[in-house]
Formats: sequence, structure tokens, C-alpha cells
Amino acid sequence: MIRAHQLILGFILLLGMNSLAAANSGRLVADLSKSKIAITSGFHGTDLLLFGAVDGAAGDDILVVISGPPTDIAQRRKANRVGIWVNVETNIWQKVPSLYTTLATSPIDKIASPETLASLAIGTSNIGLEIAAGTPIAGQSKPMASEYIAALQANMANIDLWPRQTGNVTLTKNALFRAEVKLPANILSGTYDVRVLQFRNGVAISEDITNLYINKGGLSAGIYNFAHNYSALYGIFAILFAVAAGWLAAAAFRRS
Amino acid sequence: MRIALASHGTLCETRFAKRSHVFWVFTDLPFCVKSTLLMLASMYIYLPIAEISMHIGIIIGLGGGVGFLSGLFGVGGGFLMTPLLIFFGIPPAVAVATEANQIVASSVSGGLAHMRRGNVDFKMGGILLLGGVVGSSLGVMLFTTLREMGQIDLVIKLSYVVFLGIIGFLMLLESVRTILRTRRPGGRKTKLHQHNWLHGLPLKMRFRRSKLYISALLPLAIGAFVGVLAAIMGVGGGFIMVPAMIYLLGMPTSVVVGTSLFQIIFVTANVTFLQSVQTQTVDFLLAGLLLFGAVVGAQFGTRASALLRGEQLRGLLALMVLAVCIKLGFDLALRPDDLFSVELLK
Repeated sequence: MIRAHQLILGFILLLGMNSLAAANSGRLVADLSKSKIAITSGFHGTDLLLFGAVDGAAGDDILVVISGPPTDIAQRRKANRVGIWVNVETNIWQKVPSLYTTLATSPIDKIASPETLASLAIGTSNIGLEIAAGTPIAGQSKPMASEYIAALQANMANIDLWPRQTGNVTLTKNALFRAEVKLPANILSGTYDVRVLQFRNGVAISEDITNLYINKGGLSAGIYNFAHNYSALYGIFAILFAVAAGWLAAAAFRRS
Repeated sequence: MRIALASHGTLCETRFAKRSHVFWVFTDLPFCVKSTLLMLASMYIYLPIAEISMHIGIIIGLGGGVGFLSGLFGVGGGFLMTPLLIFFGIPPAVAVATEANQIVASSVSGGLAHMRRGNVDFKMGGILLLGGVVGSSLGVMLFTTLREMGQIDLVIKLSYVVFLGIIGFLMLLESVRTILRTRRPGGRKTKLHQHNWLHGLPLKMRFRRSKLYISALLPLAIGAFVGVLAAIMGVGGGFIMVPAMIYLLGMPTSVVVGTSLFQIIFVTANVTFLQSVQTQTVDFLLAGLLLFGAVVGAQFGTRASALLRGEQLRGLLALMVLAVCIKLGFDLALRPDDLFSVELLK
């Protein structure tokens, strides 16, 4: 953390020197307290700190968008068939961010107009969701698809991957900002993009992107890789493990 | 352990120890087991295959609870564990495959005891097993296809509703009848099995241990049917196989449980292997933790079972089976809060 603060101080000095020749780039610098996170057996979600420096003025807003590695999502719809509720339809959404979370200094709708947010691809309604060709709602009319998009947003919010609420960013003296980021336990491993934008009067005037790397680590990664790369061996191992455990249990409690 | 407890001194403690079976069992556990139990009580664990984080106490508690019931009733417990794992958020496919892995262990420990006592008809077990391997292999193929179609959850739950419903109802009927009969003495004993068309099938074989001369096709078919269920429901299938062996094959009760356990060991091992290869849904970390709880729980259960009479036990088990069945049935029949669901495909 000490190093991080020194870093920020350095940037502030740097920004101070350049402030006269303020350009659209280089006004904002962001970093994370941890850029590599391992999903180990003890993993139960994680907290990290996003911080940075900005050449800001009174009334500026900072908006942070974290989006997880893209994945395909199967969305299923249930309907009643002969008295029971059955999945009757599967739509595949392609290359959807597996995590999408926003943090800001004010409510997002007060920071910029919907049009601006759309042009910057901010918000889960603006990320260009694409439905796989050949699935039931591919090529259907807009209002029909919007019901499915709303359902997707709701489902993803329920499993904490697309939280509806915008987290807090604090901006101190229009120069230093920080935000506590909470990532849920069910995040996927992969590369996460962290976009930080500076808004002034509803216009984005600078932006910085940094990455967060999440990988399976430790025992958890070992088991996962073992199961996927050497499936047959894993199966045999699982059986031997169970036989040994059962035999041990029988032996341990034989007397009693 | 009892002496150690008494030396702690107070009258209250010694009186408690005399009265309570359960407390006595806990103090009887090895120290390392007790301390591990306490240490594990405050930890979340990330399950690598299920890919969710779960409190370790819940996992071991589930294992212990189901282990207790399986010790109490003398059943495998797979039919309770799999739905419970699903209720607690483990993906159904992972629950089924992992439970198969756990049943390998519990049937080994149960089976060994029966083998020692000579309660296994190996020839009959071998034929059941042959059917079981074919059935479970087909079952895993079916499972894989259904999973790709997005219908596996439905099929798992439906199978549970159907089979638990039938078995629970029959068991309840039987135990109520027994209880009534013991209250009104003079009831006749029914014949164990009757001759019917099933005994006219070809491929007759002699099973010495079971004192039977019947067609091998019957145990083959029973084994295969149970194998399919094992693959799809994550159960050993004892709850189907044991009644089938008694009522359809006419095997003596003394060898039924041992022989079915013998078959279950290999069939669930086959399911574990095939699921590992085809769907990668066996989470042996989860299986290991469940097992740990189950081994301990079963000891409590076995001791507690001495306090109840046979028909009471069966009646209780039947009620529990029906409760699980009704819960799953309602889940399927009631309009879900959300008609949509998502699954992340990786």
C-alpha cells in the first residue's frame, strides 16, 4: 500500500506539471490494489481497492466499469406442459461479459445522458448483446427481444454477476479517487477489463483501462485441471479415493 | 472416554453421560476427528468442479445428517443426498455424478461388513453387475445428451418424484399394515414369492447361495434398470434393487443387502468413471467432505436405530421419502417465480 501511495503522489506531481497543457489523454490514471487474484479452495469472493489520480474540477464524476471475460450464456424459458414447468426454449447469448459491475461518484443517470452512455457502451443494455443464429429468438422484433434482455439482466443480477446497484467511488479534492470493489464467489477465471472514465458536464473527457487477472490457483486449480485434462485418470483416482475412504471407515468403526 | 468424562467431576455431567446416547458417541470419537470438526466449522470452501463456494459446515452437516439417516434406516442415502445437494445450489449434474462417487465409498464400507459375514451371493451379484454396467453406461450417455439439451434437471427431478413416490407409498403401506397386524394378533403370514410367468424365462441358472434356480435374464434386467437410475439419479439404487430381489427374484433376505451393495460398488464406480470422462462433473473434494460427515453420522444413526422398532423405522423412512418426493413435485408443478434461467457455458 505504501508503494501505491507513492505511486499516486508521483502521478499527482506529473499531472501538476502537465496541467497547463491538458490534453484529453493522460488526465486520469487508475490502478488496483491487486491485479492478480487466485481462486483457491478458500475463495469466497474478494474485495479489492481501485484507486487513482485525476486532473479534475469541481463537479466532475468518475465512473468505473468492470467487465468479466466474455462467455456464452444459455437462457432458458419455462412453460407449463401437461401440468409441470419445463424448459421449452433455449437461446444462446454470445460473448456476453460474465461479470458486469459499475461504480460511480453519483447515480449514473445523473452523470450522463442515456445517449452518451449508449455511445460509450456503458450499462448492460448497451453492451451489444448478440443472440446466436439459429436459436428461437434470433432475428425477432425488438420488443420481443427486450423481454428476453430484461430477463437476462434479472437472472444475472440474482447470481450477483451483473449487480443492479452502482457501487460508490469517492473523489477527494477533485484529484484522488478510490473505490472498494467486491467481486462475488462465482466469478469466472480470465482477464477482466476495468475502465475508468472522467465525466464533466455529461461528457467523458478522459479514460484509463487497466486489467485484472483472475485464475484458479492452489488445490482448486489442481483438481479442476486434473478433471479436465486427464479425465480418465481423474475418474480412476476418484474411485480409488472412495474405495480407500470406505475401507478406512469400515476399519475405523469395526470395533464399535 | 467415559472415565475421562467422569473424572471431570460434576454429578450433572456423569448423569448426562449415562442418559444420552448421542453425547456418549461424541465423546467416544477420536480426538483428531473432534478437533478437525471444530476447526472446519468456520470455513468456506470453493468447490473446484461445482464452481461455487460453500460453507464447509453445510457440506459436512449434510453428509452427517444423511449419514445419520442412512445409519438409522440402513439405506444408502443417495436418494436423499442428491436432492439436498440440488436444494443447496450444487448444479444437478454435479450433484448426481459426485453422489455416485460418494456411494462407492459408503457401499465399500457397508459391503465389506457383509462380505465378512458371508452375506453376498457373488454369482447373483455378478449377473446383476453385468446388467448394471450396461445400464449405467447407457444411463451416462442419456445423461450427457439430456444435459446438452438443457433437460437434465427436469429428468433428474421427475425421476425422483416418480420413484420416491412409488417406493415411499409402498413402504408406508407395508409398515402401516405391519403395525396394525402386531396390534391385532392372528394375522396370516403371506407367502414370500409365487410362481408366475417370470419363472418360465430361458437361460436358467442355479444360484446356490440364494437357493434359487431362475432365469439369468431377470437379474440382468433388474441390474440394467438400476444401472440407468444410478447414472441419472445419483443413487446406488438399493431402494429399488432390494425390493426387486426379495419380491421378484425371491432371494433370502439375509443375502439381499450384501449382494446389492456388492453390485452398487461397481456400478457407481462405473458411473464415476464415465461421468469423469464424459461430463467432468465429479467433484471429489465435495464427495470427500460429504463422506467425512456421512461416516461419522452413520455411527450415530446405527446407535440410534437400536431405540426404534423395525416397522416404526420403515414408517418414518417412508414419510421422509414421501416428503422429498412432494417437495420436488411441488417445485415442478408450481409456477416458478422466474420463468427464465441462465447457465454460463464455458
